[in-house]
Amino acid sequence: MGLLSWVLHNFWALLVLLFLALVALRIAWRIHKYGATRAEFAYVLRRSPFYLVVLTFCFFAAAPFLIMFMHSFKTDGDLYRRPQPFVFRQDPTLEHLDALFNNTAYLEFIRNSVVVGIAVVIITLVLSLPAAYALARLTGRWGERAGMLMFLVYLVPPTLLFIPMFRIVVLLGLKDDPMSLIVVYPSFTVPFSMWLLSGFFKAVPPELEEAALVDGYNRVEAFLRVVLPLSLPGIISTIVFTFTLTLHEFIYGLVFIADTSQRTLSVGVPTELILGDVYFWQPLLAAALIIAIPVGLAYNLFLDSLVQGFTMGAVKG
Amino acid sequence: MARLSYPLDNRRFVGMMFLTPALLYILLLVGFPFLLAIAFGFSDVTVGNTDLNFVGFQNYLAVWENDIFRQVFETTIRFTLISQVFILIFANILAVIFTQNFTGKWFARFIFILPWATPVSLAMIGWLWMLDTKYSPIDYLLLQTGFLGPNGILSNNRNLFWLATPDLSQISVIFVQVWRMTPLATVILMAGLSSIPTDILDQAEVDGSRFMRTLLQIKLPLILPIMVIALLFSMITMFGDMTVVYVLTRGGPVDYTRVLGLYSFQVGIEGGNLAQGAAISLFAFPLLLAMAIFMLRTASRAEVQ
Amino acid sequence: MNARMSIVQLSGLKKYFDSVRAVDGVDLAIDQGEFLVILGPSGCGKTTLMRMIAGLEKPTAGHIEIGGEDVTDLPPRKRGVSMVFQSYALYPHMNVFNNIAFPLRAQRRELKFDKRAIRERVESTARVLEIDMLLDRRPRQLSGGQRQRVAIARAMVTQPAVLLLDEPLSNLDAKLRANARDELKDFQRSSNITAIFVTHDQIEAMGLGDRIVVMSEGKIQQIGSPQSIYDDPANEFVATFLGSPSMNILSADRFRFGFRPEHFLPKTLHDNPENSRIFHYFVKRVEYLGSDRLVYGYVHGHDNDLTLAKVPSNVRVSLDIESDYEFAVHNRDIKFFDNVSGQRIEQQSLAQAK
Repeated sequence: MGLLSWVLHNFWALLVLLFLALVALRIAWRIHKYGATRAEFAYVLRRSPFYLVVLTFCFFAAAPFLIMFMHSFKTDGDLYRRPQPFVFRQDPTLEHLDALFNNTAYLEFIRNSVVVGIAVVIITLVLSLPAAYALARLTGRWGERAGMLMFLVYLVPPTLLFIPMFRIVVLLGLKDDPMSLIVVYPSFTVPFSMWLLSGFFKAVPPELEEAALVDGYNRVEAFLRVVLPLSLPGIISTIVFTFTLTLHEFIYGLVFIADTSQRTLSVGVPTELILGDVYFWQPLLAAALIIAIPVGLAYNLFLDSLVQGFTMGAVKG
Repeated sequence: MARLSYPLDNRRFVGMMFLTPALLYILLLVGFPFLLAIAFGFSDVTVGNTDLNFVGFQNYLAVWENDIFRQVFETTIRFTLISQVFILIFANILAVIFTQNFTGKWFARFIFILPWATPVSLAMIGWLWMLDTKYSPIDYLLLQTGFLGPNGILSNNRNLFWLATPDLSQISVIFVQVWRMTPLATVILMAGLSSIPTDILDQAEVDGSRFMRTLLQIKLPLILPIMVIALLFSMITMFGDMTVVYVLTRGGPVDYTRVLGLYSFQVGIEGGNLAQGAAISLFAFPLLLAMAIFMLRTASRAEVQ
Repeated sequence: MNARMSIVQLSGLKKYFDSVRAVDGVDLAIDQGEFLVILGPSGCGKTTLMRMIAGLEKPTAGHIEIGGEDVTDLPPRKRGVSMVFQSYALYPHMNVFNNIAFPLRAQRRELKFDKRAIRERVESTARVLEIDMLLDRRPRQLSGGQRQRVAIARAMVTQPAVLLLDEPLSNLDAKLRANARDELKDFQRSSNITAIFVTHDQIEAMGLGDRIVVMSEGKIQQIGSPQSIYDDPANEFVATFLGSPSMNILSADRFRFGFRPEHFLPKTLHDNPENSRIFHYFVKRVEYLGSDRLVYGYVHGHDNDLTLAKVPSNVRVSLDIESDYEFAVHNRDIKFFDNVSGQRIEQQSLAQAK
């Protein structure tokens, strides 16, 4: 707590210092490596406009998250009386984080989201792995048309479908049951992952499957034993992005489920942590940030793979 | 036994077998509700009354003659078009930046992807605070720098009321949409840029082309088809979005930020009039379809390879 | 004197990619108007060497001079070089005219060309390469041969000091390739431009090059005319890399020696056997190739080294399999190599050592 308090009190100064230290370290390392001191500083000077642009964009992207971070630790007095959002005038507190996890349904939201997400990922993989392979390799013209249809379906926004979907969910008796989301979410995750996966499958050289066919496997076995293992990195990235798609979804979750304890994160946090016009700001902001960081890291980790799948899907599709 | 496995060697058979479950699921889950939406539009179904009594074009006529609907429709189109301009500009700049190598790229990319990676409704909580009527940190900065407060340049008030005045609320919503959608467009453009053969870029360098010429005359024309796809994605996502305004403004002040998706939700679910809600959202469909077909055509016609 | 005439001068050129030594100390002088071929197996560093000359790759160490000026740190546009890529790298969204005009427009500051001058220059270059009727076409509407001409026109339009060609013939089918080779050579002669041509194809190299540079593992193995490289290889690598089938190499106690299959003939075919070395040759298998017979077998005392002979079909010597014959090689056709370094050893020095 002492360290956290110190960090938060000096938050902006530390941020700037950290940045400058990293820049200095980088320059020192390059001088150590290449030796040319003057050329190095000329290089830094030449590159600085570029970095300025990058920093500006980063600042705009990060601003709300920095504010979220700081405000998660502010006491009510510090937050509401004579606003002074960028410094701590009272010591930071962990009471709001404590409240978020112990006095709200936050953990239940997380549990619901994870359950829904995992179930949807499984359904999506079962349906889209073979379908994507069929699109990539097995089918001719009508397969191409089916692929196009899928692409168009992915573009149909949920706002167009949520009303009849709501009727169907009620008829099936799934209202207020996360099961309804598990059934409905594949309507957008399947087209998405089919498209991505077919990109990865196209990157596998066809000769390998042909070799498997000659070696005595049938097409299904060739797919299971040769193509799937080789596309594993692509499949993992598809899993990650499918899961986050379900995490992002808001409209269906809002419409289908009214029961607090059954709601998912993206719906539960903004609806249940706000009582009428009473906003519990610190827990709200913390709740958002706690989800944002790991998802952001996962996206960044798998971004190259996504770009690659997209390129293959778009270029050769 | 051997005979049984012959179909598994047949390309067409396995193709059908692999594709059919996914196709069926999607057709059932998207096609059926879609038809149902159309049927709802022609009926008087409500949350309480589940019978489908067909009433012809009554709902569509009522919706079309509704002034609020017209304003909502216009707002949706305006938000979508204006934000796309900014998204395209920023996405192009950022895609060029992130397809280059520089120190700290990994971290910069992480920061810059956050707005897109964060679930929309949660990211909007952050902006709700940033744009708060009383506590907005932006207002605080403007106050400290003399843009606000007594004798302020922008206003004599201590706050700008980002989400409470007609003009600013619209600007705020557009800004936030650009903020959250730019990374997606950027990633798609990055895919385009990294698929340009390196030979072409090396050739341009040997031919004496500098950075700007290579960008404007080689790179951008070559990724034009993918740029159209990126535009299509972000336009349709935005056109169908209601999350941003649901969290930020609930359509207010008055109707200034009410968009189609939110309006259909408010009429159909909150108001209980399923039929009219369905009719409202269906008005978007021909527009979306036309947009998709037009842009996909453009993309395939601009195909350069 | 050679140094004064040279237009490209490479000294101590090195390029390391992390621990991989792509180019490892190359010194080379290229003369004005020369057609120089850099030949080597894939991964020998020849393409990296060319990319460094073009300015696409920064050397780890060493210097590049073009036209007497040190261009090591200059960008490609300041070097007066142009390049034809293996894929031709035609800009797919521009028609032929705009493709050819692109370098002129890009370098208009250096070259001081206005619109009309650009048009005139593009058209005259296109006429030279006989593609002036294709100027409105897009690259995808062209045949492989036409694409190559457009790529060369684009490379020539700025009248560069040096033309770099990175395997530009490998995308053409075999029939077109011979034709394109002739055209390229004629064009280079008549325009008297200095050309550096990278290839892994020895027939191409032999046919095109005034001089050939053989590279392996980032180092130059030998420089010389096609004939001198073939007849007088500097080391075992060059000896075995050139020629098809490649040179037979046999081990002796303190050295290795080699001879080409076409020089390894039945003793009866040699005019004066006293100048030749006789081998007892066990024939294992004979392949009939039309103009030649390719004989596989073993030389007595070298049972582990498969030895080939290429006997012209028109000499009527019967060669039965699983039989012993006396074969001979003329002494001047036997090359000796150091056991350890693989370098050539002169016969005399061997004789003296004995």
